[in-house]
Amino acid sequence: MNEAVTGIALGVVIIGLALSTFVTRTSFLLAGAKLRLGARVEAALRYAPVCTLAAIIVPDILLHPPQTTLDLSLFNPRLVGALAAGLWLCWSRNIIGCLGFGMAAYTLARLYL
Amino acid sequence: MTAQASERRTAFRLGQRAILPLLPGAFAWGLISGVAMVKGGLTVPWAITMSLLVYAGSAQLAALPLIVAGAPMWVIVATGLITNLRFVIYSAALRPYFADEPWRRRAALGFFMTDFTFTRFMRAAQEGSLPERNRDAWFAGVCSSNWVTWQVSALTGIIGASYVPTQWGLQFTGTLALVALVGPSLNVRPAVVGAVVAAVVALLAFPLPFKLGLFCAAIAGIAAATLADLWQQRALPGSPEGA
Repeated sequence: MNEAVTGIALGVVIIGLALSTFVTRTSFLLAGAKLRLGARVEAALRYAPVCTLAAIIVPDILLHPPQTTLDLSLFNPRLVGALAAGLWLCWSRNIIGCLGFGMAAYTLARLYL
Repeated sequence: MTAQASERRTAFRLGQRAILPLLPGAFAWGLISGVAMVKGGLTVPWAITMSLLVYAGSAQLAALPLIVAGAPMWVIVATGLITNLRFVIYSAALRPYFADEPWRRRAALGFFMTDFTFTRFMRAAQEGSLPERNRDAWFAGVCSSNWVTWQVSALTGIIGASYVPTQWGLQFTGTLALVALVGPSLNVRPAVVGAVVAAVVALLAFPLPFKLGLFCAAIAGIAAATLADLWQQRALPGSPEGA
């Protein structure tokens, strides 16, 4: 087995990772600032938040490590918590309430299911 | 203080207030990222350096096992880069709002943009709750609160790694905050189509290396939402079945 990356090599890796954050986050804000993307692309980008977050949230709920297969059952505490949070949102837009209610449902499901 | 400066300050404060309810999610996510850095095998000074310089929880967590396993440096950086690719899409979506700002300001706003702050901004733009002027100050307010919260919580997690109860699943608060942000956007059909397609692709592409699945899923979702949008526009106005 290889040794863990440490010392100067780790410093270089961290600088590389920091650059990867900076370059991706500022890409269109800096280099692409003068580009005209066209109305259709700009309209499409309105859907960027909802699509990206769905792609982050759903695997986190259904495929949570060490799990490697889909857990669609109602015994999945994360699914219970997310459904509870979703129900709360149908009823109220209060975000703190949504977090509290979702975490409460998740914790109960984790402890008792 | 000039009237203009006070107006900018007001916009900044409004931005800070807009992100406030999401900060428990940012705190939990930062805390657990900090704990994971140290428990994963980084020393405290390196973990702090990483949190301050990289400021991207998902890329840090993706890189961590590779660092510990002694993977080649380019593989680690490539993994971080691909995990961060979604920010290119975010950056493109933000561009029209900040195109007239000086480049230094665009660079700063870009660096401090995260999943939370970007989605909060787009949500405000969609609801029409962004200020008319000084949007950059509003976004700076959002980003600064999020940054401070995340860094404080990451530092807490790094220093107190052995005291933070990881079995409570606190990081799930971060996921729920994203649910709360995105839920209200699911009120139009193209958004629902996009979210479903993105979720399915994300699940199917989960085993792909370098965390490539997330980016593929985002692109597929946006394409599907756009097609649904075009189809809806064609089907609805004046068509016999759509009436």
